[in-house]
Amino acid sequence: MREIFFPKRMWRPRGDLKRRYDVVIVGGGSHGLATAYYLAKHHGVKDVCILERSYIGSGASGRNTTIIRANYRTPEGAAFYRESVRLYERLSSELDFNLMFSQHGHLTLAHSDRGLVVAQERAEVNKLLGIRSEVIGPDRIRELCPELDLSDKPAYPILGALYHPPGGIIRHDAVVWAYARGADRLGVEIHPYTEVTGFERSGDRIVAVETTRGRVECGQVVSATAGWSSLVGKLAGLRLPITTHILQAFVTEPLKPFLDVIIVSSQLHVYVSQTDRGEFLIGAEIEPYTTYKSTGTLSFLEYSARHALELFPQLEKTKVLRTWTGLCDLSPDYSPILGKTEIENFHVSAGWGTYGFKAAPIVGVTLAELVATQKTPALIAPFALERFYTDTLVSELAAAAVSH
Amino acid sequence: MRLPPQPRERIDRSQRILFTFDGKVVGGYAGDTIGSALFAHGQRIFSRSFKYHRPRGLLCCSGHCPNCLMTVDGVPNVRVCVEPIRDGAVVEPQNVWGSLERDVLSITDKIGGPFTPVGFYYRTMIRPRRLWPVYEKVLRNLAGLGRLRKDGAGHTRYDVEHRRARVLVVGGGEAGRAAALAAAALGPDVVLVDETADLVGHELEGVEVLAPARALGIWEGGLVPVVAGSVLHRFRAERIVVAAGALDQPLVFPGNDLVGVMLPGGVRRLVRDFAIAPGSRAVVIAAGEEDLEIAGELREVGVAVPEVVDLTSTPARRIEAHGRKGRVAAVSVDGRKVDCDLVVASAGRQPAYSLLAQAGARVEYDESRGIFVPTNLPAGVEAVGSVTGEDCVTVDPVRTTKGAGGDKCFVCVCEDVTTKDIARAIDEGFDSIELAKRYTTVTMGPCQGKLCQLASIRLYAQATGVGEAAVGTTTARPPWAPVELGVLAGRHFEPARRTSVHFRHEEAGARMMWAGPWKRPYAYGERPEDEVRAVHDSLGVIDVSTLGKILVEGPEAADLLERLYPNRFGDLRPGRIRYGVLTSDAGRIMDDGTVARLADDLYYVTTTSTGADSVTAWFEWWNAVWGYDAEIVNVTGALAALNLAGPRAREALGRLVDDPDVVSAESFRYLDAKALVVAGVPCLALRIGFVGELGYELHFPSPAGEHVWDRLVAEGARPFGLEPQRVLRLEKGHIIVGQDTDSESNLLSAGMQWLPKMDKDDFVGKLALEHFAERPERERLVGFRMEEDVLPVEGAQIVVEGRPAGRVTSARRSEAVGGVIGLAWLPPDRAEEGTRFEVRVDRRLVGARVAHGPFYDPAGERMRA
Repeated sequence: MREIFFPKRMWRPRGDLKRRYDVVIVGGGSHGLATAYYLAKHHGVKDVCILERSYIGSGASGRNTTIIRANYRTPEGAAFYRESVRLYERLSSELDFNLMFSQHGHLTLAHSDRGLVVAQERAEVNKLLGIRSEVIGPDRIRELCPELDLSDKPAYPILGALYHPPGGIIRHDAVVWAYARGADRLGVEIHPYTEVTGFERSGDRIVAVETTRGRVECGQVVSATAGWSSLVGKLAGLRLPITTHILQAFVTEPLKPFLDVIIVSSQLHVYVSQTDRGEFLIGAEIEPYTTYKSTGTLSFLEYSARHALELFPQLEKTKVLRTWTGLCDLSPDYSPILGKTEIENFHVSAGWGTYGFKAAPIVGVTLAELVATQKTPALIAPFALERFYTDTLVSELAAAAVSH
Repeated sequence: MRLPPQPRERIDRSQRILFTFDGKVVGGYAGDTIGSALFAHGQRIFSRSFKYHRPRGLLCCSGHCPNCLMTVDGVPNVRVCVEPIRDGAVVEPQNVWGSLERDVLSITDKIGGPFTPVGFYYRTMIRPRRLWPVYEKVLRNLAGLGRLRKDGAGHTRYDVEHRRARVLVVGGGEAGRAAALAAAALGPDVVLVDETADLVGHELEGVEVLAPARALGIWEGGLVPVVAGSVLHRFRAERIVVAAGALDQPLVFPGNDLVGVMLPGGVRRLVRDFAIAPGSRAVVIAAGEEDLEIAGELREVGVAVPEVVDLTSTPARRIEAHGRKGRVAAVSVDGRKVDCDLVVASAGRQPAYSLLAQAGARVEYDESRGIFVPTNLPAGVEAVGSVTGEDCVTVDPVRTTKGAGGDKCFVCVCEDVTTKDIARAIDEGFDSIELAKRYTTVTMGPCQGKLCQLASIRLYAQATGVGEAAVGTTTARPPWAPVELGVLAGRHFEPARRTSVHFRHEEAGARMMWAGPWKRPYAYGERPEDEVRAVHDSLGVIDVSTLGKILVEGPEAADLLERLYPNRFGDLRPGRIRYGVLTSDAGRIMDDGTVARLADDLYYVTTTSTGADSVTAWFEWWNAVWGYDAEIVNVTGALAALNLAGPRAREALGRLVDDPDVVSAESFRYLDAKALVVAGVPCLALRIGFVGELGYELHFPSPAGEHVWDRLVAEGARPFGLEPQRVLRLEKGHIIVGQDTDSESNLLSAGMQWLPKMDKDDFVGKLALEHFAERPERERLVGFRMEEDVLPVEGAQIVVEGRPAGRVTSARRSEAVGGVIGLAWLPPDRAEEGTRFEVRVDRRLVGARVAHGPFYDPAGERMRA
């Protein structure tokens, strides 16, 4: 509140790079900044620098569709995201920055028998883990979202939904800025416009990071670079089982409140929410082809519009204002790759597909613990890179793909 | 009040048109826009601004700025300055509490300022957390512009046209018209697209004129979608010529948003097109000859112009507009106050480069002219006219803010962002243009930066001391102008699929259910168990036309299937059938079905109902990779399929074929495939046993569906639906791919160790299967019986020490078996026959025991009978 009348800088202006840091974090997005923040806050590790190729939050953190939820399918995934939602709930207060987390509930629609079974399975897993989730029928859906077209149309009738009351949307940029401010005030150095160009290895260790602004020696390295993970991994000599795809979304012109809950339909490949600014935020699944070229496609706009209108015909005359794309680093089982790698002091947060932003706080907490203690927290053990060698995958396909 | 007829006016004074505005009847002429008619009627305040609820009037008159957004016939956010007038239209102001003239919320402008600086919402309403939903509700209601009608379902008919053109010209100004005519002189297929109605009714020789129509963007491969009314034209052109022109750039000074401060283009349109004098006493502050000429044009129509300020030839000046009740009453130029009711203010014109940037052009700052110009155009895309920067020049639009006191200086009228907001954002550390954009929301409103990007960049460059070139622009994102969802969606076309027997099911009173894109019978009566009993005791028939059906033919058809499937099909004799499961490269189960060999070089493959298309694509893809001499044809829709099952099946089928001997137990054995003529229809009959009884799956041309169905029913077959079929198959322990398996399931853990032939040279997924065999198993799919008569939901969790340890994938009550049976994934150490485990059902744990093998007729004698 004070800062309304006495504005204060959010973070220090970028300074010179030091010769060495205990921890170098590659990527100034929500994961990297959160990790830095918790390293300093929970573990007193403050000799940390964040290297960001562009401005902070310029990648996936600023391009996602801001949905926070925990209703995952696998017990591993659900337990992990449950902690993330809990952290998000307290985050505005902890960081003293209003992240505008509005938990109006999240509905995953089922248009088929099969869809209902998947919803049921997720609800059962969630309930057992203390996550509020239930399968509801059309009448209850109508109460929660009277605007939805629940008629028995020739295609895609709504048979039921997985209802997840704590699901919500948040101001994504604010999460980035608040973590950046928090980390900066604890002494972490943030270096935007500093691109990593290589890693200097000595055996199984990284000894230094080469950047466009010079070389920095490092104790440990964390790569939290989302869509660029496999490329950054390659610079370090690490292969990651990741393919990179684009995800597209668009917003409409702002309108007065119309829709409170988040509506997701896996079968229609569309999700719809309305932001606090009044814009409808509509997105689809990731594009099936791999690319780093972040140009969108017209076909995305066409089918997303068509599918959004299947759910909300009232939006027919609502106008699309802008579209954008983001890069998604997809792992084979739709679960993240988190923690240690075969390079001793090189840790990754990758393979996030379309579900990375919702994990930012818990990634920060657990990765910070790993870096500080060198022990993998139990919560993220199932997501180790090693699982692709032992083939102990964590299949989130049913819950992660297009579920946002 | 209109001026005397103007030479190029667009209105037809003989045709009067009436509509209502805020409940009152307003008249205009054919050719008017709703905005021009309202202005002529005397309306000056058209909207209230986003944050401060300041009165706003017409500014650009070109459909770009947010100042004229109103609700028309229930549709919010309509730009009335370009919306054609129509009889009976109901026009209402939006985002006001009270009226346009007196908006209660304008209090935020008067006293709210100090409390609501840029980003105030990030700093407040944090504690206590439980109050946030209350604050949020208020914020949400304050934000947004128009209100959407909750019941306003869309009825507009939209359509899509796929078009080709040799040359597509975007923009119908002088340069665009010249380019189109030049192209037309060289050949046919030239199309000119123009946003305005200026070219309506004009002939351009050899050129197809599409107007008013708007190009939304230039996408990959030269794809240019053009919206004309409710039709989306998807153009592919060999050459795209962009002649999008330039955009008037507002000048930033205190009070620059007052009603009566307008851009030269807007003023010119009101006079020229609609014969309206925008004011009676005007001050012109502009840069560049063309914009200064507006003074002469105004005088010509009787508007007094006491002051003209040429910004290019005079040094920096302090300019400030003074308002009365939100309308401009005077303007001070270097302290000298001039009374006026119209200020034509512009910093010059900036090329409208968005389409080009989006197509891949680079955008560079030209310091000498103060504009951003497109360079490095991609192949196939050209630019002509002002969009190239020709005739464009701007003066620093923010220099007039220096030392300004008094009223707010707006950089962005869409979002009510002032110069102070930008300065504050920079001070707080949002020191890159992209960060500042996200923090202040400058350029993120309805105009998408058309009127505010240049000013915000200039302001930013000056405040940070970085040059404009280094600051750069924010990314140009499509669409070029806001576009209705409906026109992008096109015609609704999401067909539901019906089998050729569909109407027989409806006539029989079946409860239909959705199964993927298909509508299928769930059951024909209230009691599916009766249908199960009919199949066990007598005879039933089910419509399985939804199964995928693929013909694989050619000298190397066998090789292709051998390599696609873990099964062996090379040694399958013609006339025999084998169950097959497809695995992915990673050894995961993808789909299953039967494979019948009809001849040495011909196989008939069935897939799951949802797998038909993906399996066909999978076959084709691998066939292309391996290059076998085999053809793949998806015949799913061409053939109907009915499964006749039950102890009486042979006898019934015997009566429908010429010679009952051909279906005798000896000549038509279990897993035989035979060509039969059933009830006069040539059929491929497959003797298989998915439902566990003697059964024949008849595949035949779809048009005969109802005929064959009727004959089977006449023979005493009781129709049964999907639900009884699921009970029947579960009694046999047959899995449904996608229900009992997921994307991680493999053949070994799904209990089909016998299926893959690991001695084959290779097949898709072999390596992965070898790895599975070497590693400890993680889970196993097994059958189970519940200890109590309690039915768990599909997806129910198996709980060990309070933690999830497995899941139920199928469960049904079976009369024939006596009790609740199902399939579940369990940890291997709990998957032994008879092992007890607990399932969570309705918050309590219920015991169950593992039961391997089929529950019903374990030896399979009935289906082999």
